[in-house]
Amino acid sequence: MERRPYFLLGDLVSNTAVGGLVALVVASVVSETWPMALAMVLGMLVGDFVALPAAVGLSVLFGAMELMLPVMLSGMLSGMVVGMRAATGPMSTDAALGLGASLGLLGLLATYGLNAYIQGKHHQRAS
Amino acid sequence: MDIATQRKWDNAVRGYDLMNAFGPERRWEPWKRKLFSHMAGNVLFLAIGTGQDIQFFPPGRRITAIDISERMLDQARPRAEKYDGDLDLRHLDVHDLDYPTATFDQVFTSCTFCSVPNPVDGLRALGRVLKPGGTLGMFEHTGSRFFPFGLMLDLMTPLTRRLGPELNRNTPDNVQRAGFVDVVVEPVYLDVVKIIRARRPN
Repeated sequence: MERRPYFLLGDLVSNTAVGGLVALVVASVVSETWPMALAMVLGMLVGDFVALPAAVGLSVLFGAMELMLPVMLSGMLSGMVVGMRAATGPMSTDAALGLGASLGLLGLLATYGLNAYIQGKHHQRAS
Repeated sequence: MDIATQRKWDNAVRGYDLMNAFGPERRWEPWKRKLFSHMAGNVLFLAIGTGQDIQFFPPGRRITAIDISERMLDQARPRAEKYDGDLDLRHLDVHDLDYPTATFDQVFTSCTFCSVPNPVDGLRALGRVLKPGGTLGMFEHTGSRFFPFGLMLDLMTPLTRRLGPELNRNTPDNVQRAGFVDVVVEPVYLDVVKIIRARRPN
């Protein structure tokens, strides 16, 4: 489990920032005239499209797979959920940012949780 | 010598240290130091690259480090000269290892078998130059069996393969298929970044 403050903070900032950025992009593209399913799928694709170059850039500072995979998940989640939300009605910039950043945090926590599960199973087998 | 692979890694040298030297290496440092702390006897290190891993080698060891890219080795040489031990760099393709059978006590790799074009053949070549009972220690990244990470890595691999590594290999399986035994996998990050230990049969 990651305990070093530099990487914990880097993970947190990276995932919330990318979640927020994706949310802004998707909220500016999707409108309430869009079908929900289309908004969800396109939001997800836009999320990954925006998250990937961000992940490549941030990996220089914070690591390779450990940065890229949660950021891609955060981008996908943010794009999907914000897309669906934007398809129901207009969103303010603050609302999009807040929702995107929250989803980025959720993506990070989900990855940390899966990592803890995998490490735990390994230590159980080893002991 | 696989000229296409050599050219790919010669081209990758520009920007390689910028992308990898700080974030990834700092993140992986504790696990690499732990893995390499087991170096003993006559050691072969595959794919030294620009020499980023040399900083994690324990001092006083006897190590032969090879790489398919001469340009990568040019970057590695200043780092190798500072190593406090016996570190010999050679320009070699893993498929063309010219050492006699059973030369080395141990082989180590670091983010290598995501890129070797024929990984099982490459691992068999390493097995040949290992003494019976000799150990293999690998720090590698692979695909994932967890959704959506496995899918992400599968989708990105066609792009990353052109520039460098494949992201979805099953390296532990390749190690077994190459004839190594007692394969132990220790997760470093998810089921993607891992340490693999194995042994050449006696």
